[in-house]
Amino acid sequence: MNKQRTQDYKQRIDQALAKPKLQEALHKFGDAYLVSRANAFAGLDFEALRREIGAMKDEVRDNREQLLAQFMDNARTTGAIVHLAKTAEDANDYIADLAQKRGVKTVAKSKSMASEEIHLNDALAKVGVKAVETDLGEWIIQLAGQRPSHMVMPAIHMFKEEVAELFGKVTGNSEPAEIAHLVRVAREQLRQTYFDAEMGITGANIAVAETGGIALVTNEGNARLAATLPKIHVALVGIEKLVPTLEDAAKVIRVLPKNATGQFLTSYVTWITGAVPCGEGEKELHIVLLDNGRSTLAESPHCRDALRCIRCGACANVCPVYQTVGGHVFGHIYIGAIGIILTAFFHGLDKAAEIVRACIGCRACVAICPSHIDLEGIILHLRSVIGEEEGIGAAKSIVFKKVMRNRKLFHSLVRAASLLQKPVSKGERTIRHLPAYFSSFTEWRTLPTIAAKPLRDLLPQVPQKVDQPRYRVAFFGGCGNDFIYPEMGLDLVRVLNRLGVAVYYPEEQNCCGIPALYSGDRETAVELAEQNVKALLAENPDYVVTTCPTCTMALRRDFVEHLKDNPAWARQAEALAEKTLDVSAFIHNVLEERIPAGTASESETVTYHDSCHLRRGAGVWQEPRALLEDAGYQLKEMARADRCCGFGGSYSFTSHPPISREITKDKVNDIAASGAAVVAMDCPGCLIMLRGALEKRGLPVRAAHTIELLAERLDRD
Amino acid sequence: MSSADLLQAFREAAIRVGAQVKFFSQAQEAAAYISDQAGGLILVPPSPALERLDLAGALRKRGCDLASRDFRVVAPQAPAGVSGANFAIADTGTIVLESTDEATRLATTLPERHFVLLDPRKIVADGLAAIPWVRRLQQRRPRSFLAYISGPSRTADIERVLTIGVHGPCELHILLLDGLSDDFLEN
Repeated sequence: MNKQRTQDYKQRIDQALAKPKLQEALHKFGDAYLVSRANAFAGLDFEALRREIGAMKDEVRDNREQLLAQFMDNARTTGAIVHLAKTAEDANDYIADLAQKRGVKTVAKSKSMASEEIHLNDALAKVGVKAVETDLGEWIIQLAGQRPSHMVMPAIHMFKEEVAELFGKVTGNSEPAEIAHLVRVAREQLRQTYFDAEMGITGANIAVAETGGIALVTNEGNARLAATLPKIHVALVGIEKLVPTLEDAAKVIRVLPKNATGQFLTSYVTWITGAVPCGEGEKELHIVLLDNGRSTLAESPHCRDALRCIRCGACANVCPVYQTVGGHVFGHIYIGAIGIILTAFFHGLDKAAEIVRACIGCRACVAICPSHIDLEGIILHLRSVIGEEEGIGAAKSIVFKKVMRNRKLFHSLVRAASLLQKPVSKGERTIRHLPAYFSSFTEWRTLPTIAAKPLRDLLPQVPQKVDQPRYRVAFFGGCGNDFIYPEMGLDLVRVLNRLGVAVYYPEEQNCCGIPALYSGDRETAVELAEQNVKALLAENPDYVVTTCPTCTMALRRDFVEHLKDNPAWARQAEALAEKTLDVSAFIHNVLEERIPAGTASESETVTYHDSCHLRRGAGVWQEPRALLEDAGYQLKEMARADRCCGFGGSYSFTSHPPISREITKDKVNDIAASGAAVVAMDCPGCLIMLRGALEKRGLPVRAAHTIELLAERLDRD
Repeated sequence: MSSADLLQAFREAAIRVGAQVKFFSQAQEAAAYISDQAGGLILVPPSPALERLDLAGALRKRGCDLASRDFRVVAPQAPAGVSGANFAIADTGTIVLESTDEATRLATTLPERHFVLLDPRKIVADGLAAIPWVRRLQQRRPRSFLAYISGPSRTADIERVLTIGVHGPCELHILLLDGLSDDFLEN
């Protein structure tokens, strides 16, 4: 690992966290965005639309050479001059050279992320050409000497007072910090630029192979002017913008503004095909098609789905990490989840190495992506690539490679730790303060202790109170349930026994491998997958149940992926995946049972926190709510129930505790605001985080796993 | 959808994105509206439908100051531009305007007010239904500039506050006029 780079990165995080105003703005935007987006998609089947876009974009990827040739032919037929640029340098050289040849002094630019990607303005400046950004947000950051912090709203990190100051320097007057006035100033100041500029540069949202034309999706009207007034028009287009037909273009346009900003459609969609009239003659239209790593991305089996991206920026809008630190930390040129991936391919792995670890893994981006990209899956892959290139750090490496893979050693060390913690736990179930070096761990949350006896020791001693079981299920405890909250596992046995299900605990089961995988150690994750598939299927259970949705994702998704090329294990991994589910889903969907309220007279209020991997990994969210309501709990929904709690495993302990802390604070605020007495969830990880944070804040809200709340109802019968 | 439903959906969507939508049965009424609202020099680019109507004549009679050429020179001083429309899209309240001729582009991008006359029979349901017409327009003129216009120019780039009228028109007036033209290929 590169120490200086990591240090600089951590410093950027601290600087961002010191700006609560930025966080507040991004949070407000995130909330408002979801409301307008839901309105824009009302009555439409988002899942169907995004599958359609994903499939269309895959077709483009598979036929990219033919479609590119078709686009170039058609564009040339209509008088465009087409240049295919392999690299950023190539594109910059072409455009700068053209500007020089034509004696261009000023360029009117409309917003183009591709031009940011290649640092086109710098390349033009080097040959004495002044590029003026005309998009309001781009102009603001150009004046400020910054880079965009969002793909769609480049100046989202700036406030009107800062804008007023920047504009004041341009006009020489003191400009009031009123937004309508500032917009007016921009209109007046930039108007002459379109007339003066000898060249207009735009990007393109879509390139249509069928026609050789482009489409620009914009709101301000500057792209129309930049494409109309100057004699020369250069359109810089990433080759991933290709679509086969006009109908395909319409499908992208149907989704893009809705998912980007919650608009039904932008103010303008401009379709330009060929060299159109300009002044007394015709426009000189150059289309520069930019590869710059896109073909390499197309060849990467693990990452190529990222080429489906239509650049809506939604993955940032909903990202709790982005909302906490903004795009200048969580991004390079492209920001947010897609930014991590594009950075790796367009700017190099080194530029992506820090931000690839910044993802907390909540999959909010995956759920909102209009192109159906498993962004988190690709980020995890890149993390393991970087882990292999740079190492994952000596401490983690020893833990994963030497300890976790050896189950007996791992478990005996955990048992030893349960004894070693006694001086700080003082025999209690939570640790409120840790000494010296570790004190930051308990600054804003208490930590649970490791239980005196793990579930694997306790469970075999519990008699199975079920005569003729409907099913016999293997219980995958996962580390949290096994070593931290063993009582939760006993509750599961009691509830399932009551519903006629026998439960056993395969002793050879080991960690699900997610901590290793999320830290970039895929090798250990694969080794653990083999161990667990073997252990869990050994006695041929009817089902495998868990209390941890992250483990469920490992068993259902990752094991299959890890072992798919291994003939000995592939089919078994698939068999395990089919049998595995979270306990709430098992009770509700397989057993089709409920735990009745019993004699409960008073109705306890419960608010439900959706664990990321349960809601967006397993698609389970109605089931636990239904079980709790059937059991007589009164459900009081909190705001943003499905937003991450900030845990993210080692994310909150070692890699990004300061970001975790902020995300957890948001969640605790939402829980408190719900007014419920209990916050229920289906994940031991979330429980560690929320129980600890609620306790440290001294809030009288109890945090509990759904299975614990259901088990309590049995006591009342 | 029936044509009445399309018209209703279009009107609602156009108003939602901030357009003014007015109904007229006579060209004279439309001219009166433009004359009242224009606020100065009006750019009138060539348009077969508007010429048939002699909209320019009607505006001149009302004492309006018109320009029909040299837009690059006069446009910066003109507060208004007038155009027809090829057709419209109901679900997003969008005007589709073939703007390949530079005069049409200048008249509809530079002034603060854009008046667009549309025949209510020329409305399609949604973006996909528009595509066959887009294709025909592009095939007819392979070098073309086609504009979808939904409401006035807007930005939310400062503190995400929606603000109308940044670089394009601050006002979009859609004048629905019966009997204007049923030809999607002309504007």
